[in-house]
Amino acid sequence: MKYLSLVIANLRRNRLRSVLTAGAIMLAVVLVCLLLTLPAGLDAIVENASSNTRISVHNKAGIVYSMPASFVRKVRQVDGVAAAVATTWFGGAYEEAGRVTFPNFAVEVEHIGAVYPDYAIKPEQLADFRRYRDGAIVGRQIMRKYRWKIGDRVTLRSTVWPVDLDFRIVGEIADEDSPYFWMNNEYLDQALKAQGGAGLGITGMIWVRAGDPSRVNSIMRTIDELSRNSEAETACETEKSFFSNMFGSLQGFITIMIIVTALVALCIVFIAANTASMAVRERACEIAVLKAIGFDRRVIFATLLTETAALSIAAGSAGVLLAVAITRALRMFSGWSEALGPLGAFAVSAPVVFQGLALSVLVGLLAGIVPAYAAARRPVVETLHEVF
Amino acid sequence: MALPLSYTWRNLQARAGRSIMTASVIALVVVACSLLLGLISALQRTFVLSGNPMNLVVMRKGSDNDGASQLSVQAYQAIRFFDGIARDAADRPLISPELVVQPFFRTRDGGRENVLVRGVEPVALAVHDQVRITQGRMLRPSAHEAVVGRAVLGRYAGAELGNEIAFGQGKWKVVGILEAGGASFESEVWVDVRELANDAKRPFPYSGVRLRVATPTDLTRLKRRIDDDPRYALEAQPETEYYAKQAKSAGSLYVLVAAIAVLAGIGAGFGASNTMYAAVQARTAEIGTLRALGFSRRAILSAFEAEAVALSTVGFIIGAGAAVGLSRLLDWLMGSIAFGAATFTTNVVRLNVSLSDLLGALLLALLIGICGGLGPAWRAARLRPIEALRKA
Amino acid sequence: MQAQLPEPVIVIRNVSRRYVRGVDEVHALDDVSLSIPTGHFVGFMGPSGSGKSTLLNLVSGIDRPSAGEVIVAGQKLNDLSEDELAQWRAGHVGLIFQFFNLMPVLSARDNVALPLLLTHLSKTERPRRAEIALGIVGLEHRLDHFPRTLSGGEQQRVAIARAIVTDPDIIVADEPTGDLDARNAEAILSLLRQLKHDFGKTVVMVTHDARALRYVDDAYHLDKGVLLEGEEARLAAEALRATAGHVPAPGR
Repeated sequence: MKYLSLVIANLRRNRLRSVLTAGAIMLAVVLVCLLLTLPAGLDAIVENASSNTRISVHNKAGIVYSMPASFVRKVRQVDGVAAAVATTWFGGAYEEAGRVTFPNFAVEVEHIGAVYPDYAIKPEQLADFRRYRDGAIVGRQIMRKYRWKIGDRVTLRSTVWPVDLDFRIVGEIADEDSPYFWMNNEYLDQALKAQGGAGLGITGMIWVRAGDPSRVNSIMRTIDELSRNSEAETACETEKSFFSNMFGSLQGFITIMIIVTALVALCIVFIAANTASMAVRERACEIAVLKAIGFDRRVIFATLLTETAALSIAAGSAGVLLAVAITRALRMFSGWSEALGPLGAFAVSAPVVFQGLALSVLVGLLAGIVPAYAAARRPVVETLHEVF
Repeated sequence: MALPLSYTWRNLQARAGRSIMTASVIALVVVACSLLLGLISALQRTFVLSGNPMNLVVMRKGSDNDGASQLSVQAYQAIRFFDGIARDAADRPLISPELVVQPFFRTRDGGRENVLVRGVEPVALAVHDQVRITQGRMLRPSAHEAVVGRAVLGRYAGAELGNEIAFGQGKWKVVGILEAGGASFESEVWVDVRELANDAKRPFPYSGVRLRVATPTDLTRLKRRIDDDPRYALEAQPETEYYAKQAKSAGSLYVLVAAIAVLAGIGAGFGASNTMYAAVQARTAEIGTLRALGFSRRAILSAFEAEAVALSTVGFIIGAGAAVGLSRLLDWLMGSIAFGAATFTTNVVRLNVSLSDLLGALLLALLIGICGGLGPAWRAARLRPIEALRKA
Repeated sequence: MQAQLPEPVIVIRNVSRRYVRGVDEVHALDDVSLSIPTGHFVGFMGPSGSGKSTLLNLVSGIDRPSAGEVIVAGQKLNDLSEDELAQWRAGHVGLIFQFFNLMPVLSARDNVALPLLLTHLSKTERPRRAEIALGIVGLEHRLDHFPRTLSGGEQQRVAIARAIVTDPDIIVADEPTGDLDARNAEAILSLLRQLKHDFGKTVVMVTHDARALRYVDDAYHLDKGVLLEGEEARLAAEALRATAGHVPAPGR
């Protein structure tokens, strides 16, 4: 550690170069963090947002195919089912004329709370949801994006149903990343009937909570059996499997993003290595003098490597912090993106922070190793010969 | 008197190792940007190419895409006889009633995607005149047959000519392959509209209607007539406008390219600056000599800027080559790439780095070189001959 | 009984140094033998390419001979590995070069304290020792100056302070006056002589400066890798002294 002052003094030697290198590394690490949020976002949804007791029940042919609304009653009778709720895609557009910017569903208000206890919706909010027919429960991501508060009134124009509906926000899902908007399905049913139609006789998706994770498989088999040979044969899958499949088609895109991230990371290594080799080259004589005085090769190697690594770690850490700050700001504007779904949220999670820091360390070591080793190994006389 | 380009070139060669390293940094940024641009522009192209300016898309009022819309038989029958719709050689109106459904398809590797299945009548080929059946033949009504788009081919289990694909409630025989010059129709599967309505148990047989107008003035006239019809709540828009809106959502991905271009570009610029500053330092005596000989400040400035630009050009050339090669390799390894998880439809594209994508990357590379070289070139030009010679 | 002569501190026995440069094999030193008594101020002289710097490098342990033995203060340098040599140098040799002695990023005091990093001295001890050394060379008022604000002569004096701060067995100087003007050169030579005189240090110096002849106890002349002896040595010394005539004596 007594050599630390030497390392720092050397970094201050060419301030402009150190600043430029640090700047480049920092910016590249910011970029890498932002890019890494995409695959990380996918993992987060599939791993974290999915409960291991929830099952999705949908028509085997596709989620745009429906099931009869009465089917949910049969599902609730199945042994092991703690709660089940029927949901239907409302496809409502808010302001942006004709574009759905967050997923919104019509749900059975009596049962939704029991199926999603992990969403920790306040009991009084759930009570209001049951009490007020035009009530809505909204995830925090959307509340933040449109600056809604509990008590606000919003209008959604459905893109799939021939209705526009007014809602009163009565509760929120406390998760910062939750993009959902839930409304009362009886409200939709009434509105459809008011138009002279038959009402909401169908449901798009039934969500089930199993009382015990070990019962999940048998529950899924039973439900599928119930619907076999009926008009709407079902396919059950766990919540994790559902999301995994839903975003599975983004896998190709994510692969490209990871490749691009790797390219940028390689950039950083090259930039740092270039600086390291320039610095070492210019100081060849000094290093020779140090070796002549008696500093052995290991010390020389270590101090040179530390120089590169210290710069890289400092710059990389700053980059990670900056990435976190940027995404905090971005969250005001982004969120659910049409092309990427929830990946548009750019959430810099703990794994991303860790990966960013690890990259900084790795870059410093990789970039510095070759120049440091070469300089340490070079015989003193070789350098002196060249000069004298 | 300006310094010749050979001076620039020889200097780069003299410090070949460092030049290559710096050029490689720029090359990497070029590859990264080109790949992404290739991907996103491929996606955008599928939409841009999909609209026929003389076609109208008719949907239920308030729907944002034809998968969400419904249209009744009565509405269709009414519109059919409107004035202004083009007619074919046999005097039949060029109006195509269609039903759009997005069922699950199983992919080759066991995944699951929502594919846009379009129920059509034979007239659809005439209305969507970019679409051509290039292998096999068009499907026959009531025969449970399907025609699949070129991008769908091979991606899903059974999606081959002569095979059967499974979706909805049954299996459908693939009798033809359609191509549309890269338009989004190539990601679709076409079947008979009545059979699809049966299979999907839709109360409304159609989701919308596409029609060809006879003259451009008919476009606005018909649009207004359909929009204002009090009997049915319908909306008409030019097909080009319809697909332009879809393209906008893909356009938001350009944000990623911008992020890379800005952040990585600045980083690479800093790296280039570093190299150039070191070059200026090492050649202080040389610069002093040149100035003493009579070369102006501007000549020195230009010479160093030229070196920086030459570096970034070399970087671009390396990067462009690598980008094309890498994209071919990835395309071969990954096959088609899917988009559109949130809109219940999958658009399938192939990664391709085109000339226009490379043009964007070239601009970026040049910018990096010019900006990165500015500081060092300025410093070199400001060196006074005496100081420069004394330092040596 | 003859008085017991003190053991020579440096013994060079049949030393040769050959190395390959491009396609040629260069014989930098050819079978050189000599011994240097403790406390002597010795000069290695000769034209460029004579091998004098190579010989100096062998004495200080920076280089290894292709053949022969080098023994310094009883230590056979051949027995030491690369890293052991470095360690040995740290404790036994003080080095002064013609250029690039000092680290530009460190002050005079920190430069002098640099070799002390290799010892076990504490953080407070090190600068104190450095200050003492700088006092010996007469730069106690320049402790916090950086090399770029010191004159050539002052920089060399800082280098000398660094060379003595670890109290080494021998001090080795490679063309210490090469880059200096007449006045500073004389000052440096005088300082080196003072070190031998006041502290009993053995100083080995490579130089082609004729003025050095007036300060050293012994002068060894080399030519093309060979140590000149007898008549040849005398002639070389004469030739060198003749060049001194071109150098104006101080004060004139």
